[in-house]
Amino acid sequence: MNDDDQNLEATEDEDIVLAELADDELVEQMHDDLYDGMRDEIEEGSTILLDRGWSAEKVLNEALVGGMKIVGIDFRDGILFVPEVLLAANAMKGGMAILRPLLAETGVKPIGKMVIGTVKGDIHDIGKNLVAMMMEGAGFEVIDIGINNSVEDYLAALEEHKPDILGMSALLTTTMPYMKVVVDELVNRGIRDDYIVLVGGAPLNEEFGAAVGADGYCRDAAQTAEMAPQLMAERREAVCE
Amino acid sequence: MSARPRKKRGRSAKRAARQRAATSTATWIDRKIPYLELLDEAGLELIEDNAETVLEEIGIEFRDFPSALELLKNAGADVDGERVRFPRGLCRSIIKASAPSEFKQHARNPERSVMIGGDRTVLVPAYGSPFVRCLDQGRRYATIEDFRNFVKLAYMSPGLHHSGGTICEPVDVPVNKRHFDMIYSHIKYSDKPFMGSVTAPDRAQDTVDMAKIVFGDDFIQENTVLTSLINANSPLTFDATMLGAATVYAENNQATMISPFLIAGAMSPVTVAGTVTQILAEALAGIAYVQLVRPGAPVVFGTFAAAVSMQSGAPTFGTPEPSQIMYVVAQLARRLGLPFRSGGSLCGSKIPDAQAAYESANTLQTSALAGVNFMLHTAGWLEGGLAMGYEKFIMDADQANMLAILLGGVDLSENGQAMNALREVGPGSHFLGAAHTQANFETAFYRSSIADSNSFEQWEQDGSQDAPARANAIWKKMLSEYEAPPLDPAIDEELTSFIERRKSEFDDRDY
Repeated sequence: MNDDDQNLEATEDEDIVLAELADDELVEQMHDDLYDGMRDEIEEGSTILLDRGWSAEKVLNEALVGGMKIVGIDFRDGILFVPEVLLAANAMKGGMAILRPLLAETGVKPIGKMVIGTVKGDIHDIGKNLVAMMMEGAGFEVIDIGINNSVEDYLAALEEHKPDILGMSALLTTTMPYMKVVVDELVNRGIRDDYIVLVGGAPLNEEFGAAVGADGYCRDAAQTAEMAPQLMAERREAVCE
Repeated sequence: MSARPRKKRGRSAKRAARQRAATSTATWIDRKIPYLELLDEAGLELIEDNAETVLEEIGIEFRDFPSALELLKNAGADVDGERVRFPRGLCRSIIKASAPSEFKQHARNPERSVMIGGDRTVLVPAYGSPFVRCLDQGRRYATIEDFRNFVKLAYMSPGLHHSGGTICEPVDVPVNKRHFDMIYSHIKYSDKPFMGSVTAPDRAQDTVDMAKIVFGDDFIQENTVLTSLINANSPLTFDATMLGAATVYAENNQATMISPFLIAGAMSPVTVAGTVTQILAEALAGIAYVQLVRPGAPVVFGTFAAAVSMQSGAPTFGTPEPSQIMYVVAQLARRLGLPFRSGGSLCGSKIPDAQAAYESANTLQTSALAGVNFMLHTAGWLEGGLAMGYEKFIMDADQANMLAILLGGVDLSENGQAMNALREVGPGSHFLGAAHTQANFETAFYRSSIADSNSFEQWEQDGSQDAPARANAIWKKMLSEYEAPPLDPAIDEELTSFIERRKSEFDDRDY
């Protein structure tokens, strides 16, 4: 073993005490901890920053969202794997649970809320689950209404949870047209523009998404998590105008 | 809150770990699945009996090499001119008496030494192409620079266990001197084992002398550091060039692969049974000769079989009949107790297209399932061996990695059974977050460096590339990142001065 190896060993085994880290070091450590999917540490780090007087919004943006951005990039580039992103999203969820009530109290706009489910007749949900996971990782509150959802199921969930985004998913070419049934019903009821409608699934494409009247076609989970905040921002701007 | 000892991890650590995992190299493949065998006992006995009849009645020609005739005659063969006929069972008994069923070929880096034979498979780059092909320059004659490039790529390919031999013909170097540059390249730019020159006895001797510089004079008399390709000149003929090289290597205890090389229908009968009979007869005669030169010298039963196109006379690859030939000869070699060489990524396509991929995949799968021990031509082969493809090499090397997993068998350990995962997840839901998945996902499934499995839109955004285009980027990146394995400067100097001296002893010749 040469000297370099010994130094490497030393840094690898160094004890880290989150509470002893300066703010910028702690944020950096939380980025690493998110990357490694360490939920307890993310909860601890979030609490420490809040105790030091950080606003919930600042903790969210600098420590959590900043960290998940790195996770998203490395997932897209094939460096991080699905099970790892799942853990990272879970850690993010832990942090969000602490921050969400505080954000609501201070009137900060939440990142967003999504209702997601596969359409009637379709029980294939792995893709939908991945999208839900990535959206949680991006700080969204996700209400997963599962599989085989009728128009009524979607409407009830929209009524109950008042999300920003409705996500519909299908694997079968025989079930994907049902997305249009749902959108048409939203239009009939005059509530279509209350939501961003995102659709996804293997047999879909951009053209199909537009044809059923969705706001966006999501080709994969990582891209959905990138696209959703952009659509949210555009929508908020449009509302302000 | 108390401090827990934690490792510094995060992004940089993960990237480094993923990089390391990608460069680990197995020394060879240990086979843990059964052989796929096409013939039963009666079928095999029929072929073996017919081969003995060929040896007894028709015989084999040993051309322009009187010392072989002398040796074979003394061993009991009937020599008539250059035609040698063997009493039934003679070749087999000579082979059984002394040929090792497996042997170690030492590499200059002991960790890269390979065992050849038994349940092991060693994957080796393609051999002998005069041309190279890459996307940027198309098809052109190979140079010594190309040769070095392929040695480097093979060195960097974890699924290839061997540096090969004449990876491509460096036609920019005179014919009678290029072996020096080829052997030196294998030694200098790789530390995997390699093959020797066979195009003339003195070139074989130069190879042995260079190996002595690397491994030591005494070491190579007791150990095998070279495995070299000796083709029969089918049908039923061995020529002086091949016999000369085989003799030099055997005398020096170095391994030879006695390989009937035939295009069925032209160089052997049009049937599978007729062809395997001829292959067995030729191999028995050639291998028996090697054992007479030096009993116990390592020898491999080789086979290269293609099928002729009856429309054009061209060799064809990846078709079912040569696969059947390979399955049967593998059985015959095992019954003889010898390591078996065959297979590879053989194809007739000019470019790394769908034809190349189908034909190569057929041959690679057959080679793996048949039980090839030394798989020459595993990576790079195009155009019936006329061209060595840069992109094809990368695509084949990816396949080579997969063969290792296929041959590695099914994990039935407690972890492999995954009962805890089944219990944890239950009906519905998914396994992506299960503890068992978290513990195993990284190595659970082979990840191809070539295949694009992204969404259509992602693929389109990435430039709508096909596999060769992706492979093109990979080989360029590999060559730009290549680092030579350390070589003792004293050995390097001795090698270069040996080459300099030898090259100055005779004029350049192009024959």
